Amino acid sequence: MTAVDRGLKSTSGFYRNYVKKSYEEAHRAKTEKRPVAWVSSTFPVETLQAMDVIPVWPENYASVCAARQASVELCQVAEREGFSRDLCSYSRCVLGSVFGYEKNLPEGGLPKPDFLAATSSACDTHMKWFQVASRLYKAPLFILDTPYNIGGGDSEHLDKAHVEYYESQLNELFAFLEKQTGSKLDKYKLSHTLALSDWTSRLWTEIQDLRKNVPCPMDARDAFSAVFFMLCIPGSQDAVDFYTQLRDELRQRAKDNIGVVENERFRLVWDNLPLWYNLKVFEYLNSLGAVAVAEVFSHTWTGSLDPEKPYESLARKYLPNMANSTIQRRVNIILNLVKNFHVNGVILPTNWGCRMMSIGETIVKDIVYKKLGVQSLIIDIDSSDWRIAGEAQVNERLATFLETLT
Amino acid sequence: MEALQPFREALSNRHEAAKQWKRQNRPVIGWTCTYTPEEIIYASQALPVMVWGSLGETTLADAYMPSNSCSFARSCFNAALRGDYDYLDAFVESTSCDNREKTFDMWVNYSKVPNIYLINTPHTNTENAHQFFHREAAKFKEWLERTFKTEISNSLLDDAIRVYNENRNLLRKIYDLKMRKTPLISGTEYLEIALSGLVMPKLEHNVLMSKFLEEAESRSGLPREGLRLLVSGSVMDNIELVKLIESVGGMVVADDWCTGSRYFWNNVEHGSADPLEAVARRYLNKVPSSFMFMQEERFKHVTELAKRFQVDGVIMFLIKYCDTHMFDAPHLRDKLKAMGLPVLYLEWEHSMSGFAGLKTRIEAFIEMIGGVK
Repeated sequence: MTAVDRGLKSTSGFYRNYVKKSYEEAHRAKTEKRPVAWVSSTFPVETLQAMDVIPVWPENYASVCAARQASVELCQVAEREGFSRDLCSYSRCVLGSVFGYEKNLPEGGLPKPDFLAATSSACDTHMKWFQVASRLYKAPLFILDTPYNIGGGDSEHLDKAHVEYYESQLNELFAFLEKQTGSKLDKYKLSHTLALSDWTSRLWTEIQDLRKNVPCPMDARDAFSAVFFMLCIPGSQDAVDFYTQLRDELRQRAKDNIGVVENERFRLVWDNLPLWYNLKVFEYLNSLGAVAVAEVFSHTWTGSLDPEKPYESLARKYLPNMANSTIQRRVNIILNLVKNFHVNGVILPTNWGCRMMSIGETIVKDIVYKKLGVQSLIIDIDSSDWRIAGEAQVNERLATFLETLT
Repeated sequence: MEALQPFREALSNRHEAAKQWKRQNRPVIGWTCTYTPEEIIYASQALPVMVWGSLGETTLADAYMPSNSCSFARSCFNAALRGDYDYLDAFVESTSCDNREKTFDMWVNYSKVPNIYLINTPHTNTENAHQFFHREAAKFKEWLERTFKTEISNSLLDDAIRVYNENRNLLRKIYDLKMRKTPLISGTEYLEIALSGLVMPKLEHNVLMSKFLEEAESRSGLPREGLRLLVSGSVMDNIELVKLIESVGGMVVADDWCTGSRYFWNNVEHGSADPLEAVARRYLNKVPSSFMFMQEERFKHVTELAKRFQVDGVIMFLIKYCDTHMFDAPHLRDKLKAMGLPVLYLEWEHSMSGFAGLKTRIEAFIEMIGGVK
């Protein structure tokens, strides 16, 4: 017997309780003159946490602005300053918030960074965008040059030269951080942070595994919120506490057969990003008997960390990130999700300003169909700029796709 | 001018010439990013040729690549799907930008080229990055040796370095002919010379350039004079834009294209005990593309060119969906404007039809500067 209950207790009020709080904390740190750094996606943030630097995530901030329906206006500010409309909407939105024309920014805007830390691993866009911000704020920028994971292997199957190059730059990074913060790296603190991050990863993996259950106990909308800890502050007790609570709740729901929708007609994998300005799209899918049971996004941030080998394990966690790997890595992740999560359809949303998320989806689609006979829908959207694809248009494409699956 | 004819022929005849080369049982290897250490390919006795797009529509590629992907990369891939590059024994891509990394997957999955290689290209030139790229260059060399059953000795590499440095020196001499008050060569003519060198054997190219230089001083029929312009952008694989500019009263005397001034600006150190290391080092240290962290160095290159070539204005010409150049654009524009230079910003979808809307804007820009002058 299946019962339906959409609302999870753990994630209720998630934004207010955790995300909003993190911005308040960052602003407070700034007034207390504690070091605040802007950090790019896939940067080994554990290094900053170990040095008591408060990380803020411009990427997360863009999604916040989109959810608050403020992103397009901010993008337009950046466009007026000469940044092409074809650039990443995250970057346009955040740069738009920096120029200082808009007064009522969500969460009071991003705090001014004491320094910035970016890596080329997610994309070159991050590095370029942070260069612009670094110039605007006259704040120093550290760039970690991540070699591209050409073999497409997971953390156990990486090129030794890549791991060594990454490790050599962690040395440069700590020298930079010591200079910026004026304090020495505490090796014990680093080990402790890595242990917490490792624990966070294991909990997040358990949470994802529970979603294999039929009916699925958690929808993509909740996952796209809850991933915040995994993504932004993995090496923290807060992350461990929250994920423990969420895991326990999902365990109970799985045990009691409580799902998100009554009869799961469609179990979907959702690739790349959601439409942050329209998370209701997942509820719309629910209304059609569909649940996004797995997001590729939720399966690319985890990685085990060995406090005994901090540099090597950080390299092995971050190098095989999907965005930093050939398409085979993405294909393998999706094939596994389709097989293990009892999936019968794959949604492949592209992202207008993002090459990493847009090029290659035809390959994914072809291989998933050839190997598993499961159909995919490539749908052109933008995560934060709703001028690219409107709600009605997206809903119609999704509904038509689901019809073809029956 | 007669000495220009062979360059034009090399350009229009490039696919045939490559096939001809293959008949001597020597491979043809396509590359597409100017961070590819070409000397290593040359030293393997293969013919390195740059892979370009064409100016038609990209219907074949559009079935696989989204419309928001680099229109140059899409055009190259379209040419591959059409069979233009079926003669290639290998295709070498570089991880220099997001578009390239992802287009590599396209070639692997959908093109007919039998061997495809991706070179991991650092985005910086710290000592750690140099060491890494040296290893990458060694891996690439070993891959060439294995795939084409050949041996790339140090003396072959030394020879390649000598030929390539000579090539760069000659390109620079010809480029500088445009510095004169009355340029001895037009931007279109220069580009014909430069581009042909990317698809023909370098030795031959060197001979042709030397001959051209001998005759250049006494050439009759100098190119039509025009407003001196610098074009700033990423890659240029055809002469149509420059021809267009020069047909409406402009003269492209300088550029910062990777196939233009950035291609020949820096030499490889000659006589190094480790020639492979010297080659690798040159690439990370050359005038940087926008994907490299050292953006200020690129800006400096552009502003210095503008001064040395005494330009009247700058056209910033961006190939659509090239993120790294688009991010640099506002700051570079401000720097040039601060020098008192008028700047025209254009975005171009890589195709002949993409020029249609730009012509009037280029014309108006040139008229505007001309009016002030």
